Amino acid sequence: MLTVNHLAKSYDGEKKSLTDVSFSVRSGEVTVIIGPSGAGKTTILRSINQLIRDDEGEILFDQIDMRQLNRVQLRRARSHIGMIFQSYNLIEPLTAIENVLHGCLGTKSNFAGIFSIYNNREKEEALKLLQKVGLEEFAYQQCRNLSGGQKQRVGIARALMQHPKIILCDEPIASLDPKSTITVMDILRGLAVNDGISVLINLHQVDIAREYADHVIGINNGQVVFDDRTQALSDAAITGIYRKNANLEGSLVHES
Amino acid sequence: MIKPENQISLPTQVPTGPRLTIPLRFRDRRRITIMLTLLVLAYITLITLPTMIPSHFKLGAALMSFTENIKIMFLQPHLTNTTFLTLLGALGQSILLAFLTTLLGSVLAFFFALASTRRLAPTPLVLGIQSLMAVIRAIPTVLWVLIYSVVFGLGADAAVVGITFHSVAYLTKVYADSMDELSPDSIETMQAMGLKKGTIIRQAVIPYLVSSYFSWTFIRFEINFADAIAVGAAAGAGGIGYQLFMSSSFYFNFHEVGVMVYMILAFALVLEIISYRLRSVTNQ
Amino acid sequence: MNPNLQQVNHFFNKKRFRLSLILVILGLAYAGASLGLGFQTHSLLNIQDGIAWLIQNFIPNEASKGYWHEISQQLFRTFLVAVAATTCAAVGALFLAIIGAKTLTAAITVSWVIRGFSSLLRNIPIVAWAMILLFSFKQNDLTGFLALFFMTLGFLTRAFMETIEDFGTEKIQALQATGATYLQVIFQGLLPEIAVALMSWILYMIENNVRDATLVGLLTGTGIGFIFNLYFKSLRYGAAGLVVLSVILLVVTVELISNLIGRLLS
Repeated sequence: MLTVNHLAKSYDGEKKSLTDVSFSVRSGEVTVIIGPSGAGKTTILRSINQLIRDDEGEILFDQIDMRQLNRVQLRRARSHIGMIFQSYNLIEPLTAIENVLHGCLGTKSNFAGIFSIYNNREKEEALKLLQKVGLEEFAYQQCRNLSGGQKQRVGIARALMQHPKIILCDEPIASLDPKSTITVMDILRGLAVNDGISVLINLHQVDIAREYADHVIGINNGQVVFDDRTQALSDAAITGIYRKNANLEGSLVHES
Repeated sequence: MIKPENQISLPTQVPTGPRLTIPLRFRDRRRITIMLTLLVLAYITLITLPTMIPSHFKLGAALMSFTENIKIMFLQPHLTNTTFLTLLGALGQSILLAFLTTLLGSVLAFFFALASTRRLAPTPLVLGIQSLMAVIRAIPTVLWVLIYSVVFGLGADAAVVGITFHSVAYLTKVYADSMDELSPDSIETMQAMGLKKGTIIRQAVIPYLVSSYFSWTFIRFEINFADAIAVGAAAGAGGIGYQLFMSSSFYFNFHEVGVMVYMILAFALVLEIISYRLRSVTNQ
Repeated sequence: MNPNLQQVNHFFNKKRFRLSLILVILGLAYAGASLGLGFQTHSLLNIQDGIAWLIQNFIPNEASKGYWHEISQQLFRTFLVAVAATTCAAVGALFLAIIGAKTLTAAITVSWVIRGFSSLLRNIPIVAWAMILLFSFKQNDLTGFLALFFMTLGFLTRAFMETIEDFGTEKIQALQATGATYLQVIFQGLLPEIAVALMSWILYMIENNVRDATLVGLLTGTGIGFIFNLYFKSLRYGAAGLVVLSVILLVVTVELISNLIGRLLS
């Protein structure tokens, strides 16, 4: 589904943020990336849909290298990659249903986008997705009036509206209370198991990773230090992932 | 209505140029800046004030005549050379002029702002448009109207185009500043979903912008109303400003000026009430 | 059809209808206003004529160089008058704002009186100020100074009042709780805290007054506005162009200085 090979990225040309990161994500599985903050988790996720332009490596999504695409091709590829954010990133003054419908604009013309033209099938689908995340009665609420958990569920519905093959989640539950965390993680898990979507999640809660992940990737200091099934994630492995200043190569500088 | 232009003229980012040799502490730098600025302002004021009073000038007599005129204006307003209806028509003209120029200005400025916000446009374009607008803004509205009244002939066309010029330059800046203040998150999210630029502007930028767009446009309407009066007087472009100019500098009739000032104040009061309402609506 | 779907359609149609209604109303208002003023929209397409004319006639030529001395002198005068008017008005406005701010005032009536007074000063058109003053003070810099002074006083009083009120009641009460006197609260507690905000208002007003000074000069026959009018009416366009250029230079310079100070204050 998604294979990342030898990804490297540096800011300012010196300080390496990622050095030689390789891993792959299978369809219908929840893959979780864990690691200390500043280890490069967000950089990896954002490199996949090229929100961050990486310096070296190969990102094969459906056998196509995302790094080789031109502007139009990249836009087309992105329209099938769902993304979920820690701060939800909804358009707060608009209603939930409008935000969900934004998900299908990637494949439509600018004209349709500017005049908010959606066909009946899309509208029906948006309603169904809101029902799926349990928010059908909030369809006409402005998103700024929703709670954090509700906003994140709108975000998931919006991502699903894109008919994604993969959903990238950047710390999706970092701002949520425990109850909403479970709701959101259950929904994400369901997407992988029932709909066969690959779900790639950045997390910093190890217990959640253990409970929901099929596969875990541990990142420390811009390098993959763990890449195995969840069952293999022993306490010793976790200590290894979270070890401070994992100075694997002398040249590495620890990011605070 | 309080005009939050102080936000405009003061960009918040700290310059990243070469450091001062003596690194001043943050608060010290502020205090020294304020002290120095105040000193310079006080110095300029103190050397200017004495030179402004001309020789053989009777300040007492001037003040007497000034208070007398103020008294005539505010306490004995009445009309002799013109009718109330004529003045009402003239006031209407000025209001229409302010409305038309604000409308034209806000539509044009919106597109210029899209092309001059760092969020959406490439840097050379941003800098180009911003410098052009700064130059247009530097020329007072009256001069624009005077210039266009030579090209188009004295009349509505010159007044509208002249005031619109200044409105566009001003609104482009404030709209672009409000766009710059938008969080980049929502635009980035839309890009991550593969949306096209027009769609992003319509679905992510505009919804956040509506309220500041309205309040800035309203502020500009107030400015344009004042400008419409000034232009009427100084460039002979009609409206209540022209009537004001005629009454005061041709007929020296301050009773009439009083009536007009009261009319203008009444309209200003209406505007102030509207802006108060608008603010309480947007603050909800 | 699915009732939920109908609801979605209804929602979007209502939104679209509201938007169209606003656009139609604005369009009609535009047409009405154009008709009322006798403005022809197609003259917007002739804007470039003005620019072309400007470039053809306003480029300062050899002859206009002779005016440079007079222009620079008047420009400097205008700048001085604008600064002096703003500074004097700022002192008065600070005094009025401290007396009148709701958080500091002795009586709420005082606050409303000052508020009304500042609103009056601000809303009397600058044309009226200029004309009344011209009649009493005749054609000199003092007239322009006073016209700017009154406008600025009204504007800054209101701005300073709101700045002080934004500072909040709690902080002032906290200072009073330490046993500070009224004057101590103001000079040691309040003013240092809001100095930056007040400064940025003053700088903004200086910028604005440099521009308005041209207008006042035009009306009262003083300063840079007067010589522009003189050259313009006597068709000495090269010299008039030089005036415009120098005004641009002055305003942009003042803006840059005020931005620089603003950055030092941030």
